Amino acid sequence: MTARANVKEVMKEYLLDLDQAAQDGRRKVAWCTSVGPAEILRAAGYEVFFPENHGALLGATRMSMDTIPVANAAGYSPDICSYLTSDVGAWMKGITPLTQAYGIKSVPKPDLLVYNTNQCKDVMHWFEFYARELKVPIYGVHSPNHLPEVTAAHEDAVVAQLKGLIALTEQLTGKRFDEEAFRQSLALSKQATDLWAEVLATARARPSPLSFFDATIYMGPIVVLRGTEVARDYYVAQLAELKAKIAAGEAAVPGETKRLYWDGMPVWGRLRSLSDLFKRNHTAVVASTYCNSWIFSDFDAADPLRTMARAYLKIFINRNDAYKERYIADTVREFGIDGVVFLEAKTCPNNSNSQYNLPARLRAKGVRSVVVNGDLCDLRCFSDEQAATVLEAFLETL
Amino acid sequence: MTTYWGVDCGSTEIKVVACDDAGRVLHRHRRRTLFPLIEHVRGALAGDGDFENPLVDGGARVAEGHFVTATGYGRGHLDFAQDKLTEIRAHYLGVRHQLGAELPPGQDYAIIDIGGQDSKVITVKTGDVDQFIINRKCAAGTGAFIEELAHRLRIELASLPELERRHDAELTLNSYCTVFAAQEVIKVLMEGQRVENLIHALYRSVVKRVLEMTVVTAPSVVFSGGVLTHHEPLRRMFGEKLPGKRFLLAPEAQFCGAIGAALHGLERARKQAAPPVHPSPSQEKHP
Repeated sequence: MTARANVKEVMKEYLLDLDQAAQDGRRKVAWCTSVGPAEILRAAGYEVFFPENHGALLGATRMSMDTIPVANAAGYSPDICSYLTSDVGAWMKGITPLTQAYGIKSVPKPDLLVYNTNQCKDVMHWFEFYARELKVPIYGVHSPNHLPEVTAAHEDAVVAQLKGLIALTEQLTGKRFDEEAFRQSLALSKQATDLWAEVLATARARPSPLSFFDATIYMGPIVVLRGTEVARDYYVAQLAELKAKIAAGEAAVPGETKRLYWDGMPVWGRLRSLSDLFKRNHTAVVASTYCNSWIFSDFDAADPLRTMARAYLKIFINRNDAYKERYIADTVREFGIDGVVFLEAKTCPNNSNSQYNLPARLRAKGVRSVVVNGDLCDLRCFSDEQAATVLEAFLETL
Repeated sequence: MTTYWGVDCGSTEIKVVACDDAGRVLHRHRRRTLFPLIEHVRGALAGDGDFENPLVDGGARVAEGHFVTATGYGRGHLDFAQDKLTEIRAHYLGVRHQLGAELPPGQDYAIIDIGGQDSKVITVKTGDVDQFIINRKCAAGTGAFIEELAHRLRIELASLPELERRHDAELTLNSYCTVFAAQEVIKVLMEGQRVENLIHALYRSVVKRVLEMTVVTAPSVVFSGGVLTHHEPLRRMFGEKLPGKRFLLAPEAQFCGAIGAALHGLERARKQAAPPVHPSPSQEKHP
């Protein structure tokens, strides 16, 4: 069975089980942001659903083009996060891509909503919509943002809030929080995330066995199944497969001549056409900010709360520009990259890193880059023709 | 002998040139971009019947002795094209060919091209494209912006430069957005402002939008493309905004992209014909 088939199966089983959980009065479902404290929720007995994954599905299936206008008309601006508008619009319209993919009628109804503002503040507005709509408890972890370094004081602030979340889950479930289950959950997350880092590192090989476009599919389990054996086992298999490809000289992009870094969000509705464009031009996108964002090397089950706080604060999107500049320059060197593509996402300024002169500063370090205008889900903000011209012209200069 | 064709398939016009194998332009033709696109490109290649048509089999393929290279936004839709390149590189090659004597390889320069639906600033360093920037998605700073406002004002495009020269006051159009700019125009006209002053403001707005995209540091600036060919006030205003620089208008500015595409085909043929610099491993083993 191929890795892609595996990941599809893993995601299918996860979503079908969530659907069952939502219909089973004895099981509880929590919604969590993608870099939120999922391990705590699992240890507290919740099945965890990630609306961002749903947003990405809406984008990839291009259903978002039907659902974003619904949210816009209801008062959610076209300029805010298109994950939010795609997902809220889908809720308002009563549709989901899960129906066609898995026969699931609706996203699993939550018993608890938990967000972390380490990514952005739009997740707060997003979850608050559902808290009002569904009248379920909501808990926000308000992280210190855009940090040059993560200090003990920053960690203390988050640890205190994580303790607050634990207290809330005890109150809601009527059960004492299982510390040992939490340690186990974090230990499994650590194993999975280390494997995910190794999976991504296989792209250092020339030719690379893995492209960014493959990785956006393979990353599903590290986003939605952290803290489970399923995620860890999937990445064991995935890593073995990629190592076998390296041994066989099998390239993700046949005839690879150029290697790129992708910064910012994927354009979910254009993964295929962008992947084809790079393939036509014998170019492999071998590393990305986006996929690397689920590497949490700091996790340590011996000190789960503090190391979880540290890892979730240290994510790229939550750092200052000096950190981002160093990070991209280092990755470019480590992966033998010829140039960087910055996606400037119209509705995601928080993850559009070209807007504060970073490309020019990287250029001074010898890193060439290009900026593509577009969006994660809102294809009204993306021009296929212009993106193709910009990308191909950039490749001509390398 | 092969004839090298360049097709610049732009949003407003299709430009076609044919070059001989010394790179001399033998033929040029342009016509409005209409649809179905491929039919109109075939028509442009056939021209007015005063030059050979490179297409045979009802336009399905390129005849022996011809090589067709496509550029411009429509390049991906021309199945018969034997090679493709972006308009960024095509304009550079076209400019280099036409102004090579004035711009030796050691001299850095910028190319400003305002097209129908985009504007570009290309920086050339040490004899090749170093960087480029294209306007964002909106039409501000492009030919479409000028066309739209001319349409709103019910004025022929060709008469805009002459009207601009008769301006007697400085106005400002602020908006990025063509629709909002049109609203500004209507408001200013309702206030009794002269149309000549509005046209002056329109040109100034285009220049401002282009110069907002990047800092032009090169000592020389080359104008390329149709909009800058036909709208002299734009060239004058770039000169005012970028004092101390040398400005050149590519002699066939409107055909720069097509010439560049044809030359790209010629370069490719020359590379393929050139003997390898080093013997290949197989040659080493079997001399």
